[in-house]
Amino acid sequence: MAAALPHHNGTTITAAAQNPTPEPKPITPSELRSEFSHHDPTIARINNGSFGCCPATIIAAQRRHQLLFLRQPDDYYFNTLKPSVLRTRLLIQTLINADHVDEISVVDNATTAAAIVLQHTTWSFFSSAFLPGDAVIMLHHAYGAVKKSAHAYISRAGGHVIEVHLPFPINSPSEIISEFRKTLQIGKSNGRIIRLAIIDHITSMPSVIIPVKELVTICRDEGIARIFVDGAHAIGNIDINVKEIGADFYTSNLHKWLFCPPSAAFLYCKKSDDDELSDDLHHPVVSHDYGKGLPTESAWTGTRDYSAQMVLSEVMTEFVSRFENGIEGIMGRNHEKVVEIAEMLVASWGTEMGAPPEMCSSMAMVGMPTCLGIRSDFDALNLRKHLRECFKVEVPIYYREVHDDCSTTGYARISHQVYNVVEDYYRFRDAVNKLVEDGFTCARLDLQK
Amino acid sequence: MAADDDENPKPGSNYITQSELRSEFSHHDPTIARINNGSFGCCPATIIAAQQRHHLLLLRQPDYYHAKLLKPSILHSRRLIQTLINADRVDEISIVDNATTAAAVVLQHTTSSFSLSSNFRPGDAALILHYAYGAVKKSVQAYITRAGGHVIEVHLPFPVKSASEIVLEFRKALRTGKSNGRKIRLAVIDHITSMPCVIIPVKELVQICRNEGVDTIFIDGAHAIGNLPIDVKSIGADFYTSNLHKWLFCPPSAAFLYSKQTSDELMETATAWMGTRDYSAQLVLPEVIEFVNRFDGGISGIMKRNHDKVVEMGEMLAGAWGSELGAPPEMCASLAMVGLPICLGVKSDLDALKLRRHLRECFKVEVPIYYRAPLEGEVDDDSVTTGYVRISHQVYNVVDDYYRLRDAVIKLVEAGFTCALLSK
Repeated sequence: MAAALPHHNGTTITAAAQNPTPEPKPITPSELRSEFSHHDPTIARINNGSFGCCPATIIAAQRRHQLLFLRQPDDYYFNTLKPSVLRTRLLIQTLINADHVDEISVVDNATTAAAIVLQHTTWSFFSSAFLPGDAVIMLHHAYGAVKKSAHAYISRAGGHVIEVHLPFPINSPSEIISEFRKTLQIGKSNGRIIRLAIIDHITSMPSVIIPVKELVTICRDEGIARIFVDGAHAIGNIDINVKEIGADFYTSNLHKWLFCPPSAAFLYCKKSDDDELSDDLHHPVVSHDYGKGLPTESAWTGTRDYSAQMVLSEVMTEFVSRFENGIEGIMGRNHEKVVEIAEMLVASWGTEMGAPPEMCSSMAMVGMPTCLGIRSDFDALNLRKHLRECFKVEVPIYYREVHDDCSTTGYARISHQVYNVVEDYYRFRDAVNKLVEDGFTCARLDLQK
Repeated sequence: MAADDDENPKPGSNYITQSELRSEFSHHDPTIARINNGSFGCCPATIIAAQQRHHLLLLRQPDYYHAKLLKPSILHSRRLIQTLINADRVDEISIVDNATTAAAVVLQHTTSSFSLSSNFRPGDAALILHYAYGAVKKSVQAYITRAGGHVIEVHLPFPVKSASEIVLEFRKALRTGKSNGRKIRLAVIDHITSMPCVIIPVKELVQICRNEGVDTIFIDGAHAIGNLPIDVKSIGADFYTSNLHKWLFCPPSAAFLYSKQTSDELMETATAWMGTRDYSAQLVLPEVIEFVNRFDGGISGIMKRNHDKVVEMGEMLAGAWGSELGAPPEMCASLAMVGLPICLGVKSDLDALKLRRHLRECFKVEVPIYYRAPLEGEVDDDSVTTGYVRISHQVYNVVDDYYRLRDAVIKLVEAGFTCALLSK
C-alpha cells in the first residue's frame, strides 16, 4: 500500500502541514533516538502493543494543532476542523484500499468503533429486525472491553453471544479456520440465526494473526449478514486491504502502530446497497450533525481536543517517509526482528513460541519457563509488575490455563517497534534467567504481601 | 483586587498582576475581540503547561502511568469537583469528555430502562426545554424518540423579565404534558440555557417535577461551573453535568457527570465507549484551583466580577444601540443577551450566522448571535428585536473588546447595512 498523499482541491491546509516536502531525509540512528528521547530511558520498553508510541516530531505537530484551536477556537471550528479531519480520512482510505472516503470515520479508539457497531445491532433487536435468541459470534480471545461491550449491548437486548475458542499455542491458521467453522455450525444448530460476527484481525492476548479473509468467506457462506473485523492492532503492523478482506466494518487504532498520539482510530463501513444499514449507523455521542452520516457525526462529538486525529499527514510525510520503504519497510523489519528475538529468547529459556512466525505480526508470544509457576491471571499481572519494578522491563504476560504440571502456562507478548534495540530483549532474557536461577516462583510474590 | 482593567494588586500580595494575566492568555489571537468565552472556554498558559506535563508522563512510560498514576489523578480531580458542587460522595462523580457525552450517557441509560422496564408504556414522555442545546435535543431524538418515547418541549419566554415567568410556563407545560395520563420518565432542564442565554431557576423546577411525579431529572449545566455556584444537593436532581473547559479554565475537554444514585449499568455504558484516550485534560484541576486562587476571592471572586462586568458591558452596549438586555441582571451569569439594532434585519438563523461571520472577518470581533423568531401573534412590523448578541466576560477580557463590538455595530447601522446584503 502506497503512502503517497492524495491531493484534494479546496482543502484548507493548516500551516503545520504546508511545508513543501523535498526528498525526505533518511533518519539516522541518533535522530531516531532523539525522536523517542521522551521515553523513560531506564526501561526496556517491550510493550508497544498496549499503548503504542509517538515520535517527538508528531508530538510537536499535535501541539501546533492544539494551539491553533486555543488561539481562536471559533475560527478553528468553522474553518479548519472539518478539512483537517478530511485529510486524515483520505490518507486512511489510501492506506487500507477503501473505495470511498465516506466509508471512513475517525473515532477515538477501536473500543468506540465496536460500540458503534454493537449499538446498531441493539437497535435491530429493539426494532424486532432481530429476534430474541438471535446471536452474535465472536472470538473467546476478543479484547476484554469489546467482549464486555458485546455482552452489555447484545445480551441486554435479548441476543445470544457465541464465543469461538481458539487453540493456543497454535501451529497454523488452519486450526483457527476449523475451530471457527465447527463453532459456527454448532451455534446455528436449532435454527438459531447469527446476525453479526466480530473477528479480530490480530488478537490482543494471546496475540496471533487471524486468517480474517478466510473467516469472512465462511461467514458469508453461512449467511451471516454483518461482519465486523476488530483490527485494533493492525494498521502499521500488517497489510490491510479492506476490499480483499470483504468485511462490512473494520476498525484499527492509529496510536498503536501508526505513530499518532493517544488517541485516534478509524472505522471503515463498507458502502452497501442496504440503505437501512448505512443510514442507521450512529456515534453514541449525539451532537449537532446527527443524521448526516457517521463520518460527519464522528467529526464533532462536542468540544474536544481533536488534535490526535489531525496529525496523520505529518506522520506519513515527516516521519514514516524517512524510513526505507516507508511503512511497509517498517512493518517488514519489525516482524523480522520480533521473530528473531523470540527465537533467541526461547532458545535461552528452553521454551517455545506460542505461534509460528507467519502468524506473528510485530508481536510474538514467547513461552516463559514453567518453573516460574504462573498459575493465574493474577500471577501473570504480579510477575509483570515484578519485572517492571525490579528489572525495569515492561512486557505484558499472558496466563494460559492447563490441566497438567508441565505445560507452559505463561507467555510474554514481546513487541518490536522502531525505537527498540536488541539490549531491551537481552535485559528481559537475563531477568528471566536470573529469576529461574534464584528459584523464583509467583507464589513467592503472594507471600510478600 | 486583581485583574480588573487598570488596577494592579497591592504590592506584596500574591495576587496575579495585569501583565501576568496578559501573559497567561498571550496565546489568544491578539487581533480578535474575543467575546465568546461561552462557546469554547479558555485555558491559561499555566494550565496548558500542566497538561503537557501529564501528557509527557503518559508518553514516557504508559504502562506504569496507567497502572499507577492515572486512577489516583482522576480521583483527585473527582474529589475537587465533589467539593465544588457539594456532592455527598466522590463515587457520585464521573469525569467524561463533555456535557454532550454526559447527555448521551444519561439518555442511553434512560432508554434502556424505557425498553426494559415493565412499567413502560408506548408514548411515555421525556420533557426538554425548547431552548435546550441543539446537540442535546438531537440526543433526545436519537435515544428517546427512537425508543418510542414522546418528547415534550417546554417553550419559555424570551426576552424575559423574571424567573417567575419561567416557573409559570414550566408548570403549565408539565401539566399539559401529563394530560391523558402520559407518564413523564425524564426531564432535561438547562441550568443556564445556551441560546438564548439565561439562568433557569432549576431548584424550583426540580421541585415542580418531583411534585408531578417525574421519574428522573437531569440538569444540563454545561455552562454552569465557574459561572455560578452549584449545590447539587440543594438542587436535588438525579443527574447533573457541567463542562470544566468552558468557565473553569481546563483545557479541551472535560466535564463531570454527577449521579445521585450510582448505577453499575450507567458506568458500564459510559466506559463501554471509552477505551484508551488522552486523559490529560481531566487531570489538571489541582493546578486550576491554584490558578483561581491567584485572584481575589478565588473562583467566587472571579464569578462575581465577571457577572458585574458583563452586566455593565451589556448595559453600555444597549445604551449605545438603543436596545435592551434580553433578561434582567439577576438572570445573567457571566453572559448576557444584548439586543441588536432592528435595522440590521436579522431575519433567520442563517442571517445570524452570516452576521457573526461578517463581524469576525471584517471587524475581528468574535461574538455569537441569536435569532429570536417573532412569536405567533406578534406583529412582524420591525418593532420587535430579532437579533441578540450573547456577550461573555472572562478574566482575559478588557473593556476595549466591547467598545470594538459597539463601534462595529454602530458602523454597520450608519452604513445602512442589513443581513440581506450578505452573500450566501
